Amino acid sequence: MTLDLLIQQLVNGLIVGSFYALIALGYSMVFGVIKLLNFAHGDIYMNGAFVGLIVFSFVGIWVGNGWLGVVCALLVSMLVVGLLGVVIERFAYRPMRNAPRLSILITALGASMVLNGTALALTGGRHYAFNTDLGFAGVDISTVHITYTQMVLVAASIALMAGMQAFVSRTMYGKAMRAVSIDMGASRLMGIDVDRVIALTFFMGSALAAGGGVMAGAYYGSVHFFMGFIMGLKAFTAAVIGGIGSVPGAMLGGLLLGLLEAFGSSLPFVGSEWRDVFVFGTLILFLVFKPTGLLGRSVVERV
Amino acid sequence: MVVSFKRLTCATALAGLALTTMAAAADIKIGIVAPMTGQLASEGQDMENAVKMAIDAVNAKGGVNGDKITTTTADDACDPQQAVTAGSKLVSEGVTAIVGGYCSGAVLPTLKIYGDAGIPFVIIGANSTKLVAANQGNAFLANSTGDMQATTAVELFKKNGFKKIAVVDEGDAYSSDLAKLTAEAFKSAGGEIAAKETTTAGEQDYSAVVTKIKSNGADAVFWTAYHAGGALLTKQLRQAGFQGGIVLGDGNNSPEYLEIAGSAGEGVYLLSPPTVDLLSGAADFKAKYKETYGRDAGAYAALSHDVGDLIADAITRAKSVDQKAIIEALKASDFKGLAGEIKFTDKNTLQTSNFRPVIAKGGKWVAVE
Repeated sequence: MTLDLLIQQLVNGLIVGSFYALIALGYSMVFGVIKLLNFAHGDIYMNGAFVGLIVFSFVGIWVGNGWLGVVCALLVSMLVVGLLGVVIERFAYRPMRNAPRLSILITALGASMVLNGTALALTGGRHYAFNTDLGFAGVDISTVHITYTQMVLVAASIALMAGMQAFVSRTMYGKAMRAVSIDMGASRLMGIDVDRVIALTFFMGSALAAGGGVMAGAYYGSVHFFMGFIMGLKAFTAAVIGGIGSVPGAMLGGLLLGLLEAFGSSLPFVGSEWRDVFVFGTLILFLVFKPTGLLGRSVVERV
Repeated sequence: MVVSFKRLTCATALAGLALTTMAAAADIKIGIVAPMTGQLASEGQDMENAVKMAIDAVNAKGGVNGDKITTTTADDACDPQQAVTAGSKLVSEGVTAIVGGYCSGAVLPTLKIYGDAGIPFVIIGANSTKLVAANQGNAFLANSTGDMQATTAVELFKKNGFKKIAVVDEGDAYSSDLAKLTAEAFKSAGGEIAAKETTTAGEQDYSAVVTKIKSNGADAVFWTAYHAGGALLTKQLRQAGFQGGIVLGDGNNSPEYLEIAGSAGEGVYLLSPPTVDLLSGAADFKAKYKETYGRDAGAYAALSHDVGDLIADAITRAKSVDQKAIIEALKASDFKGLAGEIKFTDKNTLQTSNFRPVIAKGGKWVAVE
């Protein structure tokens, strides 16, 4: 492998990894607080992309198809889909909070299917074009071409994640979130409004997923009802590799998974069809030998 | 008065009877089998219309060997069970020959019925290789089987001077078969395969594959899977600064491809079945079809029209309505229609692939001259 190829694959891995990290973060936060693998998370990402596309087409009439349109789409979609996350939590997960773990897990699968099926019914399975004027201009380092869009994308997701980390570690609400994740009962006794903290967690996690969805839609230029499935799977893998429940772990896991994939495609002797075997093989190895992931702490009760 | 009236009726009846018998003796009846109901009813309607249009034109010129041709349509609904019923109906009606068939699954069980009855059958749309294996010798495939796309692809690569090709599929049976066949055909034609890559369906990021293709120095990329992935791959190849050619398999023949790929799709080649919009010589046919039936000619209308002509041509050359003679005449076909040349191999499949390259220009697919 030449140096150019190495750098290019590194860049590729970073870009796709930052998407994984954004989605994995929401996965991880929700798991951290209520110990639920929110299978609907990938579909929330898909909904985010669709809401973003609708807003983008709408504001595009006034502001054009450039950066301003994408930023509007991003903010509106994060807000709307964040609220959708809260609604799902309120009506699907909260009534199940004291039910056995398996019941709520199945509820999450159900929520995923409801979102996915609704999108299928509304769009008829069509692939929608998300055409921006962002263009392919960028910087060339020898044969490696990095577009400005790619740079902004990585920077934006890092900023979002850093903001999230700061929120969780520095603010009062963040402290409440951490408290609920350690002991829900004791937090309630200390006067923390647990329902509100959980709703907030869902809002933030869903908003991050929606942000990822809008960015992916605008970057790849296409949106469809099934786009959340593989993303959900990969984000779950990233969250496990990083240590599920840990915010920095989700970021690390996402970036690492992106790099694993990029280099997994260039494995010597075998072709790119082995990439997923390589990636999910890594997931199994982690689950067997280090189930808490790279930065995770051990959880007493797991699903 | 009463007697004469009776005589008159009798005479009229006799005359009428004589007329119908005469007509029946002189007419050649062709069966059309197509989906007239169900999801693909629109395609079936097109096939029936286009075949009838060809037959009407033949009749207007005096028919074949002095006889007129009539048609009768049976609905297979693209359903294997209904296709068997429809096939038996045509056989019991005593048709001379049968044309049609859109869905391979519905055509397959009828091959035995027509084969046992020894009726010449020209299949218009259905093109599964399974049909070739089940054929008893009386059936002819007027559409290229899927694997012949590889031949067209290699011709296109050579014509454009592509020497190193990267082949990318999605790992499913259809696209990986096409990728494999094309790679083999291109290698035996003296070409080089720079990379053979597989992506995961539903995934959005192809950057790792794109990087590999670029670093292996491919002149062109051949994508054998479907339009959703094709549009993403095209965009990401161009985004990464890939300057070479991009060629797409027939699964990309969708307006969504052009919408999503946007400006990156410009100049991309697509291997298309001979759909009427992409045939340079079919403009007159298209206009006449619209005038006659008040709707646009669908994808397989041109080929259906050709098959209508072909069967008339075969009966003319057979110089009889003997079905064995017609089958022999079909085997010896040397026919040039709107959708291309029809000449059969000893397996009754097309000698030359009827897939044709089209190119994306100004957000539309246009024929390559």
